[in-house]
Amino acid sequence: MGYTTMGFVAGVLLAAKGNVVLGPLWGFLSSSMWITGTMSFAFVPEVAARTPIYAIVLMTLAVNFRYAFYGFSMLARWKSAPFWRKAYLILMLTDENYALEVASPFKDPKRHIAYCTALSLFNHSYWVAGVTVGALVVCALGFAVDPDVIRGWTDGMEFAMVALFIVIFTDQIRSFVENGR
Amino acid sequence: MAGEIVYMLGVVFAVFAVNYALRALPFVLFGGRDRNLPQWVASLGSYISPVIILALIVYSYSGLRWRTPWPYLAGALTVALHLWRRNPLASIVAGTVLYMCLVGCGCTTAETSLAYDGAHPLIRFSNTGIRFKDEYVTPSRAIELLEENQIPHDATIHILVDDDFTDRRATWVFQHNYLARAGYSRSVLVSKRVATSAAVDSKPRRAAESAPGKPQKIRYKKADE
Repeated sequence: MGYTTMGFVAGVLLAAKGNVVLGPLWGFLSSSMWITGTMSFAFVPEVAARTPIYAIVLMTLAVNFRYAFYGFSMLARWKSAPFWRKAYLILMLTDENYALEVASPFKDPKRHIAYCTALSLFNHSYWVAGVTVGALVVCALGFAVDPDVIRGWTDGMEFAMVALFIVIFTDQIRSFVENGR
Repeated sequence: MAGEIVYMLGVVFAVFAVNYALRALPFVLFGGRDRNLPQWVASLGSYISPVIILALIVYSYSGLRWRTPWPYLAGALTVALHLWRRNPLASIVAGTVLYMCLVGCGCTTAETSLAYDGAHPLIRFSNTGIRFKDEYVTPSRAIELLEENQIPHDATIHILVDDDFTDRRATWVFQHNYLARAGYSRSVLVSKRVATSAAVDSKPRRAAESAPGKPQKIRYKKADE
């Protein structure tokens, strides 16, 4: 459910502040291809300002650098997964999925992989649905209400991204303290 | 339109490629081998990631109203709630809602909330009367509202005059007997066409940045002309 709510906010922001045509289409495309909540929030002001793509690439590198370390704990457990299955699991290696997969109760690799796949499929659909519906709602409202008014309503919603960063940071510091490293 | 679609496609595919490459990196590097990952990689990850995220928090605060206390209050609530409940969704939603309330409840300064450039004329003359931001007012009430909103005296006051409003004497009296006497010596009459073209010019940029200070490309008449 968390995914749908966060996705909805991201979709609303994209359509209301992204300053692009066809907001729902981009919401759907981006959410289905990169399941990274942080970038879905962070790229909205950049797109609105038409930041060059290389700058957005650099930003993605910085924002999502932590993902490069998630795979290490999954190396052994996903060894037996078929190629495409593994490719999909890698695509879905988000903060939330990673936390759940590491804490997975299944020790048997086969059942663990099945569990991860089901988890990823559900979270993927929740996320895509959230973003797309959020963007669609804003677009539908756009026919009835002045876009500037919608922008006024969503004023302050950009804090969701900062709050997400703060939550990730708090978790990282907590695991740091608890592991004693 | 076409350029915009190409740009958005480029953004979507670029972020996808970088994101996927980062996530697949360990599998590509160590996938084929049986050895364990070096200890230094794990410790590197646990040190670098928090630093990057902290830098991102600082950076993203620059996009908020960081001169006001509101983002810090909302941030403190987010941290406290997350330490207490460990529920990411609850922390994020609570922090965001608090920030939206604080920002939305008139806790901002007048300068940032009220645009008074050529694209957003505050005062409008029409055959049905004088309006100050869609509110019908008397001339003296309009001056009071200007003072209340702390519009600086040296700002150029744009007055939107409807095309069918032909009483030039009324606008002249307003500019000289009301605005100039209250200290607003720079006022400008603009027509609907000029105002909308100024609005189109300034819209793609961020409204708050382009609003005050920047000279708009408007031919205007000075009050004492």
